[in-house]
Amino acid sequence: MSGVALPAHRRIVLPRLGVADLAGAAIVLGMVMLILAGASLSPYSATAFNPMHSLEAPSLAFPFGTDEFGRDVFSRVLAGARPTLLLAVGAAALGVALGTVTGLTAGYRQGPVDETIMRFMDALMSFPGLILAMLVVVMLGPAPINVVAAIALVFWPRSARLVRSIVVDLAHREFIEAARSRGERASFILFRELLPNVLPIIVVDFSLRVTSGVLLAASLAYLGIGVTPPTPAWGLMVRDGQQFIEIAPWLVVFPCLAIALASIGTVLLGERLRHRLALPGGGRAQ
Amino acid sequence: MTVMSKIEPPVLAVRDLSISYGPLQAVRGVSFSIAPGEAMGLIGESGSGKSSVAYAVMRYIKGQASGEVHVAGQDVMALSEQALGKLRGRTAAMVYQDPMSALNPAIKVGEQIAEAIRLHGRIGKALAWKRGVALLERVHLPRPAEIAHRYPHQLSGGQQQRVVIAMALACDPQLLIMDEPTTGLDVTTEAVILDLVNELRRETGVAVLFISHNMGVVAQVCDRVGVLYAGQLIEEGTTEQVLRQPRHPYTVALMRAMPAIDGPRRRLAAIPGRLPDLRSPPPGCIFTPRCAMATAECESRMPDLANSSGGGHRSRCHYRDEVALRLPPEPLVAEVQLVEARQERPRLQIIAVSKQFRARPALPFMRGPAPVRAVDDVTLDIPPGRTLAVVGESGSGKSTLARCVAGLIVPEDGAIRLENEVLDPLVQKRGRAAQQAVQFVFQNPDAALNPHWTVAEIVGRPMRLYGGQGEGKALRHRIIEQLEAVKLGERYLDLYPREMSGGEKQRVSIARAFAGRPRLVICDEPTSALDISVQAAILNELLALQRENGTSYLFISHDLGVVRHVAHEVAIMRHGRIVESGPPAAVFGDPREEYTRNLIAAIPTLERREAAPALLTA
Repeated sequence: MSGVALPAHRRIVLPRLGVADLAGAAIVLGMVMLILAGASLSPYSATAFNPMHSLEAPSLAFPFGTDEFGRDVFSRVLAGARPTLLLAVGAAALGVALGTVTGLTAGYRQGPVDETIMRFMDALMSFPGLILAMLVVVMLGPAPINVVAAIALVFWPRSARLVRSIVVDLAHREFIEAARSRGERASFILFRELLPNVLPIIVVDFSLRVTSGVLLAASLAYLGIGVTPPTPAWGLMVRDGQQFIEIAPWLVVFPCLAIALASIGTVLLGERLRHRLALPGGGRAQ
Repeated sequence: MTVMSKIEPPVLAVRDLSISYGPLQAVRGVSFSIAPGEAMGLIGESGSGKSSVAYAVMRYIKGQASGEVHVAGQDVMALSEQALGKLRGRTAAMVYQDPMSALNPAIKVGEQIAEAIRLHGRIGKALAWKRGVALLERVHLPRPAEIAHRYPHQLSGGQQQRVVIAMALACDPQLLIMDEPTTGLDVTTEAVILDLVNELRRETGVAVLFISHNMGVVAQVCDRVGVLYAGQLIEEGTTEQVLRQPRHPYTVALMRAMPAIDGPRRRLAAIPGRLPDLRSPPPGCIFTPRCAMATAECESRMPDLANSSGGGHRSRCHYRDEVALRLPPEPLVAEVQLVEARQERPRLQIIAVSKQFRARPALPFMRGPAPVRAVDDVTLDIPPGRTLAVVGESGSGKSTLARCVAGLIVPEDGAIRLENEVLDPLVQKRGRAAQQAVQFVFQNPDAALNPHWTVAEIVGRPMRLYGGQGEGKALRHRIIEQLEAVKLGERYLDLYPREMSGGEKQRVSIARAFAGRPRLVICDEPTSALDISVQAAILNELLALQRENGTSYLFISHDLGVVRHVAHEVAIMRHGRIVESGPPAAVFGDPREEYTRNLIAAIPTLERREAAPALLTA
């Protein structure tokens, strides 16, 4: 039992920012900058060979060391952000968008429509993610757009299932009955009535998908599928570097750190956004 | 302490109890005591602090509590966690409002009772089970040995609540705390549960602290009653004293807001204003801003909870002995005659509508369970500007009928006719004009409004959808006008549902229904989730809107008191069929059917009933 708050009394609540929020925002901001201007920030070329300096340990001149061809690892990590992150963000956006529309439709319509859609989703989900993505890229060819499509295909059923699970519950609420009895079109109910209520979950889902998109894109590159050398994708760098792991661990460590940092940053920011997008009027997420 | 209380120490003594949750002072200086075998009722609306008091007795409290609580001589505030564990269940036991959440859905009820028995006494499993069965018999469950093997979801609401009571009785407690134990139940089930409580009191001598918002229910069970308002005990006395000659204007106002099933028809009086801000309660009497007889003294000085002239009757009002004289008398309403309306062409006709629900078979191609006839050949009509109330208990099919009319559920048979037009059974296939003509007000104001929309969007949507009410400034003006019609103003425009109280949300819901200028509004239990004083205001609002706009209402309710207040015509529904219909004076005054008579007899009034009606199937 709580006291009654006055309705006209609106407080402007400034978000309390913790260290985690700032860190998340900083990392994501850094990532965006890298995507936009990664290559031009690099001190050296990311692809030019320099045999004089092959396999040098980190130093002031080469902060992350150099690889077997004498390329600066720092420059390559900076330049590698764009191929890796763009793939991840693109795939997450496409996958979550497809999943949202499918999940909304299945959860709202229910019955045979729901069954048909969700069994198809189950079929997609029965493939292990990486194998499905590999199959698609191998079938379609190694263009970046195909890698995006392949990863999105992995994300689609997972997002759809998540969104559907929330919508199934929401669809029985009286405000949806109210909309139906008003004579609203299905598209209005899906996108104006239901979507705002699942948006916080979708945002978190998107941030998690970006994270696993980074990992999937890196894994595909690591397996030599999708991105081809000499493009400095992070996954590719890990693959190429692992043969020297005993004498030059920096070849593997720094791209891995970049992958980890990107993943952590998106998760932290996603969590923050979820709280901001939760119920209006100072509420928290369910 | 007097000599009497030394001989027989109270089972529960609460002295100067205050509870705060952060800056919120939920309970302030509450004192009362319960003698062995006595039943005390605490009445209050939401925000009164009644549940906080109940939980404080068991020390289940999250906020800061001060004051003294003694249960059977033990100081609850000072007990160790271990001693507290013994007290809970053994000396004092609690019965909650929602039996479904008080029982574990995955464990057989017999096992749950046995568990409660074994928790407090070292006895074997088999013996505990046997005692559990005996307890189930004690609460009059039919075939207790069989019921012990069932899971909670296999029992009806009334049976579940009886299992919870059996569990509470497991260790012969001296005090039972019941927090709204019948609020979710049908009236006939409620009557049976109340009888059970009375019988247990007579036979075991258990004392009862009974929390409720319903004065009729309290009158059935309690010897004494305390009224809580905004965290303070504002009146206390015997049930007879408090409910018959209330000595506090708030209690009087509550009585006047309650729609009664008997006596002359009165205009329901809503209590104006709202609960004061409990973060900074006013220095004077806490009821002053809403009181019809407040003076300057009330504003400056808080009255004590002191005896009025009739012995043992305490009231926290400066004018406790003059309440009846000072308050303005109640206005009566003349009975409306319906004869002239009969001549008109009905606005809505429900013609032989039937709807069955078929459960899915366990496996494909197997035969499923027999279909349930939710609505069975129902024919009704509603004249323009009149209200037809459909009354029934849960599962009677009244909500299904309402949804058939709204086009949300497609009936198998029959037709819905709005004036000259036969409506398509599915609302999406109806024309815009037909969609606009029929609007819905839902039961639960929390669920009926999209939490992500502002009030302006919610009320403006039907205007935009149906058109013809302007755009931009003009539309905004219309929205404000609509809000003002339900006594909300411009300042609500940008609020989200969760920033409003339940009553305000329901007003927004009503504003939305009327925004499309409908000819028929379906009200599905529009006030059952609201406090009594708010209910009165909402009902008055609905009546006023009907008078102004000539709207017809299909009013679904389980509450005969409410129905008697708003309806021009009543239909009693049971198992999908209409068993009796007619004007309320006839149906309530001289019911023809046995079922109607039982339903009316089960309603808890201020008169103590001797035994429950013969409808013991709950």
